[in-house]
Amino acid sequence: MDAFLSGLKAAVDTLGATVLLPIVIFIIAIVLGAKVGKAFRAAVTIGVAFIGINLVLGLMLGSIGDVAQAIVTNTGIHRDIVDVGWPSAAAIAFGSSVGLWVIPIGIAVNVVLLLTRMTRTLNVDVWNFWHFAFIGSLAVAATGSLAYGLVVAALMAALSLLFADWSARAVQKFYGIPGVSVPHLASAQILPIAIVVNWIIERIPGINKINISTETIERRFGVFGEPVVLGLIIGLVLGVIAYYNAGDFGTVLSKVLQTGMTLAAVMLLLPRMVKILMEGLLPVSEAAQEFVRKRTGERELLVGLDSAILIGHPAAISSSLILVPIAIILSVILPGNRVILFADLAVIPFIVALTAPLMRGNVFRMVIVGTVTLAVGFYVANALAPLFTTAAVDSGFKMPENAVQITSVVDGFLWISYAVIAAIRGLGAAGLALLAAIIAACFWLYRRNTLAWERAAGAEDDEVEQKG
Amino acid sequence: MSINKRVLFACGTGIATSTVVSNAVVEAMKERGINIDARQCKATEVRSELNGMDLIVSTTQLPADLPVPSMVTLAFLTGMGKAEALDKIEAALRG
Repeated sequence: MDAFLSGLKAAVDTLGATVLLPIVIFIIAIVLGAKVGKAFRAAVTIGVAFIGINLVLGLMLGSIGDVAQAIVTNTGIHRDIVDVGWPSAAAIAFGSSVGLWVIPIGIAVNVVLLLTRMTRTLNVDVWNFWHFAFIGSLAVAATGSLAYGLVVAALMAALSLLFADWSARAVQKFYGIPGVSVPHLASAQILPIAIVVNWIIERIPGINKINISTETIERRFGVFGEPVVLGLIIGLVLGVIAYYNAGDFGTVLSKVLQTGMTLAAVMLLLPRMVKILMEGLLPVSEAAQEFVRKRTGERELLVGLDSAILIGHPAAISSSLILVPIAIILSVILPGNRVILFADLAVIPFIVALTAPLMRGNVFRMVIVGTVTLAVGFYVANALAPLFTTAAVDSGFKMPENAVQITSVVDGFLWISYAVIAAIRGLGAAGLALLAAIIAACFWLYRRNTLAWERAAGAEDDEVEQKG
Repeated sequence: MSINKRVLFACGTGIATSTVVSNAVVEAMKERGINIDARQCKATEVRSELNGMDLIVSTTQLPADLPVPSMVTLAFLTGMGKAEALDKIEAALRG
C-alpha cells in the first residue's frame, strides 16, 4: 500500500495537476455515471483552469513579492507571507496528491455516516471538498506521507458534517432556509470561539447592552465590499509604502499606480479563474449528488450547501465590512506577524456568517468574535506558511524568486488546520488516532445531548416545542 | 422564435453557488426558447451590476427594494423544487 501511494505521489509530482487532475476527474465522473462527452469537456476545463490560476498567481506574487521586499528594505517591517486567497488555496488543494482522492473519500465518508445514522446531512457541495483536501495536503507537506493526508481529509469530511448538523437548526431559523445545513469548515470553525466570546460578553456590564444595527454600515463601508476597488486601494497604499523613495516623482508615481492596477486586476481575475474550475467540477458534483441520493434512500436529509448562501444577510455583510479595516490594522500591529493581507479580504463574510444566529445578528458582537478569530488566525497563518508554500509547490504552482511564502485566510487562518498539523507533528500516527477519537467523541456527545449543543450554537428553544 | 434576456446571478462570492445556478438556468431556459445573457456577481455588488438586467436570481439574501425583478432560490442547489423555480423564472422573463 505504501509503495503504491508513494509511486502515485511521484506520478503526481512529475505530471502535475494540469495533466493529472483532468484524467482523474474524467474517471471519477464516468464512475459516478456522468455522460462521456460531458465528463471529457469538464476534465479539460479543469486543466485549463489550473493554467489560468497559475498565470494570475504569478502576476500577483510577482507584484506583491517585489512590494514586500521593498517594504522590508524601506521600513524594516517583515511582511513577506503573502495572502494569495482562497481561489489559490482551492487550486492547490485540488491539484495536490490528496486532491485527486478527495471526491471519492468525501462521498464515502458521507455515505458511511448517513448509513450508520451518525449524520443527517447529505453534503452535495462537492466543490467545497477542497477544504478537506487542503488540510490533507498540509499534512502531506508536514509528513511526506500521502496516507496521512488521506486520513486527515477523511477526518475533516466527518468533522464538517458534525459542524453542519450541530449548527443546522440555528442556521435554518436565522437565515430562513429550511432543510439546509452548512458543512463548511472555514465558516464553522468560528463556532467554538464564538460561544466562548459570547459567554464572556454576556457577563461584562455595559458591553453586554451594545447592539449595532446594520443599516448605516453598508452605506459607509460599502467600498470594502467591492473587490476591484479594494484591490486598487490596497495596491496604491502598499505601493506608496514600498516605492516612496524609489526615485524622482515620475518614477514613484508610475510604480505606485502600476501596483494599484495590478492588484485590482488580481482581485477580479483570480476568482474568474476559479469559476472555470467550478464549471469543470459541475458535472462531477451533479453525478455525485445522484450517486449518493440513490444509496441513502428516501430518508429526509439536510442538504449540505456552501456557506455562500448565507453571505447576503445584512448582518454578515455589515460585520465583515467593518472587519476588513480591522484585519488590515491587525496585520500591522500584531507582534511577530509576517502576513500581508490581500486577496482574502474579500471573503471575511465566510468567517463570521455562522456566528449571526448565536449573536442574534448583533453586528457589534460579530465584529468582536471576528477580531478574536482573525487575531488567532494570524498566528496560525504564520506557523503554517512554510507548509502552505510547500503544498503549493507540490501542486505545481510556481513560486517567485524573491522567496516569499504564501497563505490565505480561508483556510490558512483556521485553528483546525493548526490543531491537525500540531497533532501529527507531535505524535505521528498516534496523533491521527487522537484526532479521530476526539471527533468521534464529539459526534457521540452531540447525539447524546443534541438540544444543548444546538442551543449553544444559537438555536432557539420555542421552535422545538412547536415541532412537538 | 426565441427571445433574449439578461439575467444577473448573485451569491456570496459571485463564483461558487451562482455558477451552479447560472449554468442550470441558462441550459433549462434555452430548451424553453429563452436565450439568457448571464452575468454573475456578489450579493454586495448587485446594486452596481443591475443596469439593463431583466431579472436577478440569487442564492442568498438580496438588498431590499431593487428596481429589477428578483428572486432568491436554493432549488438549483438542493435539487428540490427545481421545476417550480424554472417556471417562475420563465414567467418573470416572459412577463
